[in-house]
Amino acid sequence: MSSSAGAPAGARNGSGWYLYGVVAADAPAQLDAGISVDPAHGVELLAEGPLAALASKVSLEEFDEEHLRERLNDPAWLERNIRAHEQVLERVLASASVVPFRFCTVYRSEAELRRFLSQRGSDLAGVLRRVDGKVELGVKAFVDRERFAAGLGTRSEEARELEARAAGAEGGRAYLEGRRFDQLVAKELERFAAQVVEASHAHLLAAAEEGTLGPLRSPEVSGRSDEMLLNGAYLVRAGGGELEEAVAALARRYAEQGVSFEVTGPWPPYNFVPREVGAA
Amino acid sequence: MSSQDLERYGRPGGSTHPAQLADVLERVLDKGIVIAGDIQVNLLDIELLTVKLRLLIASADKAKEMGIDWWEGDAFLSRGDGQGRLEERLRRLEEAAGIEEASRRSDK
Repeated sequence: MSSSAGAPAGARNGSGWYLYGVVAADAPAQLDAGISVDPAHGVELLAEGPLAALASKVSLEEFDEEHLRERLNDPAWLERNIRAHEQVLERVLASASVVPFRFCTVYRSEAELRRFLSQRGSDLAGVLRRVDGKVELGVKAFVDRERFAAGLGTRSEEARELEARAAGAEGGRAYLEGRRFDQLVAKELERFAAQVVEASHAHLLAAAEEGTLGPLRSPEVSGRSDEMLLNGAYLVRAGGGELEEAVAALARRYAEQGVSFEVTGPWPPYNFVPREVGAA
Repeated sequence: MSSQDLERYGRPGGSTHPAQLADVLERVLDKGIVIAGDIQVNLLDIELLTVKLRLLIASADKAKEMGIDWWEGDAFLSRGDGQGRLEERLRRLEEAAGIEEASRRSDK
Protein backbone atom coordinates (compact mmCIF):
# COMPACT_ATOMS: atom_id res chain seq x y z
CA MET A 1 0.00 0.00 0.00
CA SER A 2 3.00 2.27 -0.09
CA SER A 3 2.53 3.55 -3.63
CA SER A 4 -0.96 4.84 -4.14
CA ALA A 5 -1.93 5.40 -7.73
CA GLY A 6 -1.81 8.99 -8.85
CA ALA A 7 0.36 10.15 -5.98
CA PRO A 8 2.29 13.20 -7.12
CA ALA A 9 5.91 12.76 -7.92
CA GLY A 10 7.96 13.38 -4.82
CA ALA A 11 5.18 12.38 -2.45
CA ARG A 12 7.06 11.12 0.54
CA ASN A 13 5.67 7.96 1.87
CA GLY A 14 6.20 6.95 5.43
CA SER A 15 5.27 8.73 8.56
CA GLY A 16 5.39 12.13 10.15
CA TRP A 17 4.59 13.38 13.63
CA TYR A 18 1.36 15.09 14.54
CA LEU A 19 1.75 17.52 17.44
CA TYR A 20 -1.29 17.99 19.72
CA GLY A 21 0.24 20.02 22.49
CA VAL A 22 3.14 20.55 24.85
CA VAL A 23 3.34 19.70 28.55
CA ALA A 24 6.07 19.90 31.18
CA ALA A 25 8.32 16.83 30.90
CA ASP A 26 7.78 16.03 34.57
CA ALA A 27 3.98 16.48 34.45
CA PRO A 28 1.97 13.38 35.34
CA ALA A 29 0.30 13.44 31.93
CA GLN A 30 -2.02 10.53 31.37
CA LEU A 31 -2.53 9.27 27.86
CA ASP A 32 -5.39 7.29 26.44
CA ALA A 33 -4.09 4.56 24.19
CA GLY A 34 -7.31 4.42 22.21
CA ILE A 35 -7.45 7.94 20.80
CA SER A 36 -5.31 9.56 18.11
CA VAL A 37 -5.74 11.06 14.65
CA ASP A 38 -4.25 7.99 13.01
CA PRO A 39 -5.69 4.81 14.51
CA ALA A 40 -2.53 2.91 13.60
CA HIS A 41 -0.42 4.96 16.03
CA GLY A 42 -1.05 5.90 19.65
CA VAL A 43 -0.13 9.17 21.33
CA GLU A 44 3.33 9.36 22.86
CA LEU A 45 5.19 11.78 25.10
CA LEU A 46 8.43 12.91 23.49
CA ALA A 47 10.51 14.60 26.17
CA GLU A 48 13.07 17.18 25.13
CA GLY A 49 14.66 19.02 28.02
CA PRO A 50 12.03 20.40 30.43
CA LEU A 51 9.22 20.00 27.88
CA ALA A 52 7.44 17.08 26.30
CA ALA A 53 5.45 16.92 23.09
CA LEU A 54 2.15 15.11 22.95
CA ALA A 55 2.43 13.62 19.53
CA SER A 56 1.54 10.61 17.47
CA LYS A 57 2.87 9.19 14.25
CA VAL A 58 0.73 9.82 11.19
CA SER A 59 0.85 8.47 7.71
CA LEU A 60 2.11 11.17 5.39
CA GLU A 61 -0.04 9.68 2.69
CA GLU A 62 -2.97 10.93 4.69
CA PHE A 63 -1.50 14.03 6.29
CA ASP A 64 0.66 15.26 3.47
CA GLU A 65 -0.33 18.63 2.13
CA GLU A 66 -1.52 17.23 -1.19
CA HIS A 67 -3.90 14.81 0.39
CA LEU A 68 -4.91 16.88 3.34
CA ARG A 69 -6.74 19.38 1.21
CA GLU A 70 -9.03 16.66 -0.04
CA ARG A 71 -9.48 15.31 3.46
CA LEU A 72 -10.47 18.68 4.81
CA ASN A 73 -13.40 18.67 2.44
CA ASP A 74 -14.58 15.40 3.85
CA PRO A 75 -16.74 16.38 6.81
CA ALA A 76 -16.64 12.93 8.36
CA TRP A 77 -12.84 12.87 8.24
CA LEU A 78 -12.60 16.41 9.56
CA GLU A 79 -14.97 15.84 12.44
CA ARG A 80 -13.37 12.56 13.46
CA ASN A 81 -9.90 14.07 13.55
CA ILE A 82 -10.85 17.36 15.10
CA ARG A 83 -12.54 15.43 17.87
CA ALA A 84 -9.54 13.14 18.23
CA HIS A 85 -7.26 16.18 18.53
CA GLU A 86 -9.52 17.64 21.19
CA GLN A 87 -9.94 14.38 23.11
CA VAL A 88 -6.21 13.72 23.30
CA LEU A 89 -5.76 17.14 24.89
CA GLU A 90 -8.77 16.80 27.19
CA ARG A 91 -7.52 13.50 28.47
CA VAL A 92 -4.18 15.04 29.38
CA LEU A 93 -5.82 18.15 30.79
CA ALA A 94 -7.39 16.05 33.54
CA SER A 95 -3.93 15.46 35.03
CA ALA A 96 -1.58 18.12 33.64
CA SER A 97 -1.42 21.65 32.25
CA VAL A 98 -1.18 21.72 28.49
CA VAL A 99 -0.32 24.18 25.72
CA PRO A 100 -2.65 23.33 22.83
CA PHE A 101 -1.51 23.50 19.22
CA ARG A 102 -3.74 24.05 16.27
CA PHE A 103 -5.27 21.26 14.25
CA CYS A 104 -2.89 19.54 11.82
CA THR A 105 0.50 20.61 13.10
CA VAL A 106 2.60 17.97 11.39
CA TYR A 107 6.36 17.43 11.33
CA ARG A 108 8.08 15.26 8.81
CA SER A 109 10.31 13.58 11.35
CA GLU A 110 10.87 13.11 15.04
CA ALA A 111 14.17 14.97 14.74
CA GLU A 112 12.37 18.07 13.35
CA LEU A 113 9.86 17.97 16.16
CA ARG A 114 12.59 17.67 18.77
CA ARG A 115 14.50 20.50 17.18
CA PHE A 116 11.40 22.70 17.39
CA LEU A 117 11.01 21.86 21.09
CA SER A 118 14.58 22.69 21.97
CA GLN A 119 14.81 25.84 19.84
CA ARG A 120 11.51 27.26 21.04
CA GLY A 121 11.82 25.83 24.53
CA SER A 122 11.93 29.14 26.37
CA ASP A 123 8.92 30.57 24.50
CA LEU A 124 6.94 27.42 25.12
CA ALA A 125 7.94 27.30 28.79
CA GLY A 126 6.67 30.88 29.12
CA VAL A 127 3.31 29.93 27.66
CA LEU A 128 3.16 26.89 29.89
CA ARG A 129 3.73 29.05 32.98
CA ARG A 130 0.85 31.30 31.94
CA VAL A 131 -1.60 28.39 31.82
CA ASP A 132 -0.10 26.33 34.65
CA GLY A 133 -2.83 24.85 36.82
CA LYS A 134 -5.50 26.51 34.69
CA VAL A 135 -8.15 25.50 32.22
CA GLU A 136 -10.47 27.34 29.85
CA LEU A 137 -14.22 27.46 30.38
CA GLY A 138 -16.64 28.62 27.73
CA VAL A 139 -19.64 30.69 28.80
CA LYS A 140 -22.49 31.46 26.48
CA ALA A 141 -25.65 33.42 27.13
CA PHE A 142 -28.82 33.03 25.11
CA VAL A 143 -32.08 34.90 25.16
CA ASP A 144 -35.51 33.46 24.49
CA ARG A 145 -37.11 36.22 22.46
CA GLU A 146 -40.65 35.26 23.38
CA ARG A 147 -39.94 35.25 27.08
CA PHE A 148 -38.14 38.55 26.74
CA ALA A 149 -41.12 40.02 24.87
CA ALA A 150 -43.58 38.70 27.44
CA GLY A 151 -41.55 40.30 30.22
CA LEU A 152 -41.35 43.56 28.32
CA GLY A 153 -45.09 44.02 28.66
CA THR A 154 -44.76 44.19 32.43
CA ARG A 155 -41.86 46.64 32.32
CA SER A 156 -42.68 49.18 29.64
CA GLU A 157 -45.76 51.33 29.24
CA GLU A 158 -45.23 51.59 25.49
CA ALA A 159 -44.95 47.83 25.12
CA ARG A 160 -48.09 47.26 27.14
CA GLU A 161 -50.03 49.68 24.96
CA LEU A 162 -48.82 48.16 21.71
CA GLU A 163 -49.48 44.68 22.93
CA ALA A 164 -53.03 45.57 23.99
CA ARG A 165 -53.70 47.22 20.65
CA ALA A 166 -52.47 44.15 18.82
CA ALA A 167 -54.65 41.93 20.96
CA GLY A 168 -57.72 44.11 20.40
CA ALA A 169 -57.35 44.42 16.63
CA GLU A 170 -58.61 42.03 14.00
CA GLY A 171 -57.40 40.68 10.67
CA GLY A 172 -54.78 42.69 8.81
CA ARG A 173 -54.93 45.39 11.46
CA ALA A 174 -53.94 42.84 14.14
CA TYR A 175 -51.06 41.74 11.96
CA LEU A 176 -49.81 45.28 11.54
CA GLU A 177 -50.06 46.05 15.24
CA GLY A 178 -48.34 42.78 15.98
CA ARG A 179 -45.46 43.71 13.73
CA ARG A 180 -45.10 47.09 15.42
CA PHE A 181 -44.88 45.32 18.73
CA ASP A 182 -42.21 43.00 17.28
CA GLN A 183 -40.22 46.01 16.16
CA LEU A 184 -40.34 47.49 19.63
CA VAL A 185 -39.18 44.17 21.05
CA ALA A 186 -36.25 44.12 18.63
CA LYS A 187 -35.19 47.62 19.65
CA GLU A 188 -35.46 46.88 23.35
CA LEU A 189 -33.69 43.56 22.96
CA GLU A 190 -30.73 45.18 21.25
CA ARG A 191 -30.33 47.62 24.11
CA PHE A 192 -30.74 44.88 26.68
CA ALA A 193 -28.23 42.60 24.94
CA ALA A 194 -25.48 45.22 25.05
CA GLN A 195 -26.16 45.70 28.75
CA VAL A 196 -26.09 41.96 29.49
CA VAL A 197 -22.81 41.46 27.64
CA GLU A 198 -21.06 44.31 29.40
CA ALA A 199 -22.27 43.42 32.88
CA SER A 200 -21.79 39.66 32.46
CA HIS A 201 -18.29 39.87 31.04
CA ALA A 202 -17.17 42.15 33.87
CA HIS A 203 -18.76 39.87 36.45
CA LEU A 204 -17.13 36.77 34.96
CA LEU A 205 -13.72 38.41 34.62
CA ALA A 206 -13.78 39.06 38.36
CA ALA A 207 -14.04 35.30 38.89
CA ALA A 208 -11.34 34.39 36.33
CA GLU A 209 -7.68 35.02 35.61
CA GLU A 210 -8.33 36.22 32.09
CA GLY A 211 -11.21 36.35 29.68
CA THR A 212 -12.03 37.08 26.08
CA LEU A 213 -15.18 37.50 23.99
CA GLY A 214 -15.61 35.59 20.76
CA PRO A 215 -17.97 36.03 17.83
CA LEU A 216 -21.66 35.29 18.32
CA ARG A 217 -22.93 32.22 16.53
CA SER A 218 -26.17 31.85 14.65
CA PRO A 219 -28.79 29.40 15.91
CA GLU A 220 -27.87 27.08 13.05
CA VAL A 221 -24.34 26.76 14.38
CA SER A 222 -25.05 26.95 18.09
CA GLY A 223 -27.77 24.32 17.79
CA ARG A 224 -30.11 26.40 19.93
CA SER A 225 -33.13 28.30 18.74
CA ASP A 226 -32.46 31.10 21.21
CA GLU A 227 -30.38 34.05 20.14
CA MET A 228 -26.81 34.09 21.38
CA LEU A 229 -25.92 37.18 23.39
CA LEU A 230 -22.47 36.30 24.66
CA ASN A 231 -19.74 33.87 23.67
CA GLY A 232 -16.92 34.17 26.16
CA ALA A 233 -13.87 32.12 27.13
CA TYR A 234 -12.31 32.39 30.56
CA LEU A 235 -9.05 31.12 31.97
CA VAL A 236 -9.66 29.77 35.48
CA ARG A 237 -7.94 27.72 38.14
CA ALA A 238 -8.69 24.05 37.44
CA GLY A 239 -11.42 22.80 39.74
CA GLY A 240 -11.91 26.23 41.32
CA GLY A 241 -15.66 26.57 40.88
CA GLU A 242 -15.72 30.38 41.17
CA LEU A 243 -16.67 30.95 37.57
CA GLU A 244 -19.55 28.49 37.78
CA GLU A 245 -20.85 30.38 40.81
CA ALA A 246 -20.56 33.65 38.94
CA VAL A 247 -22.51 32.19 36.02
CA ALA A 248 -25.20 30.87 38.33
CA ALA A 249 -25.57 34.35 39.86
CA LEU A 250 -25.94 35.89 36.40
CA ALA A 251 -28.45 33.23 35.43
CA ARG A 252 -30.57 34.18 38.44
CA ARG A 253 -30.21 37.88 37.72
CA TYR A 254 -31.43 37.60 34.14
CA ALA A 255 -33.79 34.62 34.27
CA GLU A 256 -36.90 36.79 34.22
CA GLN A 257 -35.84 38.44 30.99
CA GLY A 258 -35.55 35.06 29.28
CA VAL A 259 -31.76 34.75 29.45
CA SER A 260 -30.08 31.40 30.05
CA PHE A 261 -26.41 30.55 30.37
CA GLU A 262 -24.38 27.59 29.22
CA VAL A 263 -20.95 26.56 30.45
CA THR A 264 -18.67 24.33 28.38
CA GLY A 265 -15.36 22.76 29.26
CA PRO A 266 -12.96 22.43 30.88
CA TRP A 267 -11.11 23.03 27.62
CA PRO A 268 -7.40 23.18 26.96
CA PRO A 269 -6.61 26.92 27.11
CA TYR A 270 -6.91 27.47 23.35
CA ASN A 271 -7.91 31.09 23.77
CA PHE A 272 -5.03 31.90 26.10
CA VAL A 273 -1.99 30.82 24.20
CA PRO A 274 -0.36 33.12 21.66
CA ARG A 275 -1.27 32.58 18.06
CA GLU A 276 2.32 31.95 17.21
CA VAL A 277 5.55 31.01 18.87
CA GLY A 278 8.93 31.60 17.39
CA ALA A 279 8.03 34.66 15.33
CA ALA A 280 11.16 36.28 13.98
CA MET B 1 -29.73 16.86 34.00
CA SER B 2 -29.26 20.45 35.04
CA SER B 3 -31.14 23.48 36.17
CA GLN B 4 -32.90 25.40 33.48
CA ASP B 5 -30.84 28.48 34.08
CA LEU B 6 -27.43 26.94 33.85
CA GLU B 7 -26.63 24.13 31.51
CA ARG B 8 -23.35 22.41 31.22
CA TYR B 9 -22.04 20.49 28.26
CA GLY B 10 -18.95 18.76 27.15
CA ARG B 11 -17.28 17.78 30.39
CA PRO B 12 -14.43 15.47 29.61
CA GLY B 13 -13.89 12.40 31.71
CA GLY B 14 -17.17 10.53 31.98
CA SER B 15 -19.00 13.18 30.01
CA THR B 16 -22.57 12.42 29.11
CA HIS B 17 -22.68 15.14 26.47
CA PRO B 18 -19.98 15.20 23.87
CA ALA B 19 -18.90 18.77 23.24
CA GLN B 20 -20.79 20.48 20.45
CA LEU B 21 -18.87 20.33 17.21
CA ALA B 22 -19.18 24.08 16.73
CA ASP B 23 -17.43 24.68 20.07
CA VAL B 24 -14.65 22.29 19.16
CA LEU B 25 -14.21 23.73 15.66
CA GLU B 26 -14.08 27.23 17.00
CA ARG B 27 -11.13 26.28 19.17
CA VAL B 28 -9.24 23.56 17.36
CA LEU B 29 -9.37 25.25 13.94
CA ASP B 30 -9.09 28.83 15.01
CA LYS B 31 -7.12 28.94 18.26
CA GLY B 32 -4.10 27.17 19.63
CA ILE B 33 -0.51 27.79 18.69
CA VAL B 34 0.60 27.82 15.10
CA ILE B 35 4.23 27.68 14.12
CA ALA B 36 5.40 31.11 13.11
CA GLY B 37 7.76 32.59 10.61
CA ASP B 38 7.79 30.55 7.44
CA ILE B 39 10.97 32.08 6.17
CA GLN B 40 12.85 31.72 9.38
CA VAL B 41 11.63 28.17 9.66
CA ASN B 42 12.86 27.46 6.17
CA LEU B 43 16.20 29.05 6.86
CA LEU B 44 16.56 26.89 9.91
CA ASP B 45 15.67 23.98 7.75
CA ILE B 46 12.89 22.85 10.00
CA GLU B 47 10.60 21.04 7.69
CA LEU B 48 7.13 21.73 8.91
CA LEU B 49 4.09 20.78 7.03
CA THR B 50 2.30 23.05 9.42
CA VAL B 51 3.61 26.18 7.85
CA LYS B 52 1.74 25.45 4.69
CA LEU B 53 -1.16 23.67 6.30
CA ARG B 54 -2.07 26.63 8.42
CA LEU B 55 -2.58 28.61 5.25
CA LEU B 56 -5.28 26.15 4.40
CA ILE B 57 -7.03 26.11 7.70
CA ALA B 58 -5.89 29.18 9.53
CA SER B 59 -9.45 29.76 10.64
CA ALA B 60 -12.97 28.74 9.87
CA ASP B 61 -13.36 31.92 7.79
CA LYS B 62 -10.16 31.16 5.98
CA ALA B 63 -11.38 27.64 5.37
CA LYS B 64 -14.47 29.12 3.79
CA GLU B 65 -12.39 31.30 1.53
CA MET B 66 -10.50 28.21 0.51
CA GLY B 67 -13.74 26.54 -0.42
CA ILE B 68 -13.93 24.33 2.63
CA ASP B 69 -17.51 25.07 3.32
CA TRP B 70 -19.38 21.85 3.78
CA TRP B 71 -21.20 23.19 6.81
CA GLU B 72 -22.77 25.91 4.65
CA GLY B 73 -24.54 23.28 2.62
CA ASP B 74 -25.66 21.33 5.63
CA ALA B 75 -29.36 21.81 6.11
CA PHE B 76 -28.95 21.55 9.85
CA LEU B 77 -26.33 24.25 10.04
CA SER B 78 -27.47 26.69 7.45
CA ARG B 79 -30.66 28.37 6.55
CA GLY B 80 -32.29 26.29 3.86
CA ASP B 81 -33.45 27.80 0.60
CA GLY B 82 -37.04 27.11 1.41
CA GLN B 83 -37.00 29.26 4.49
CA GLY B 84 -35.14 32.04 2.71
CA ARG B 85 -37.79 32.20 0.00
CA LEU B 86 -40.55 32.17 2.55
CA GLU B 87 -39.02 35.12 4.34
CA GLU B 88 -38.66 37.00 1.11
CA ARG B 89 -42.33 36.48 0.30
CA LEU B 90 -43.32 37.60 3.76
CA ARG B 91 -41.22 40.71 3.44
CA ARG B 92 -42.91 41.63 0.15
CA LEU B 93 -46.34 41.01 1.61
CA GLU B 94 -45.51 43.26 4.53
CA GLU B 95 -44.28 45.95 2.22
CA ALA B 96 -47.51 45.80 0.32
CA ALA B 97 -49.43 46.06 3.60
CA GLY B 98 -47.56 49.22 4.54
CA ILE B 99 -45.63 47.76 7.44
CA GLU B 100 -42.58 49.84 6.59
CA GLU B 101 -44.66 52.97 6.86
CA ALA B 102 -46.00 51.79 10.18
CA SER B 103 -42.53 51.21 11.51
CA ARG B 104 -41.33 54.63 10.40
CA ARG B 105 -44.22 56.26 12.20
CA SER B 106 -43.50 54.36 15.38
CA ASP B 107 -39.88 55.52 15.31
CA LYS B 108 -40.93 59.15 15.60
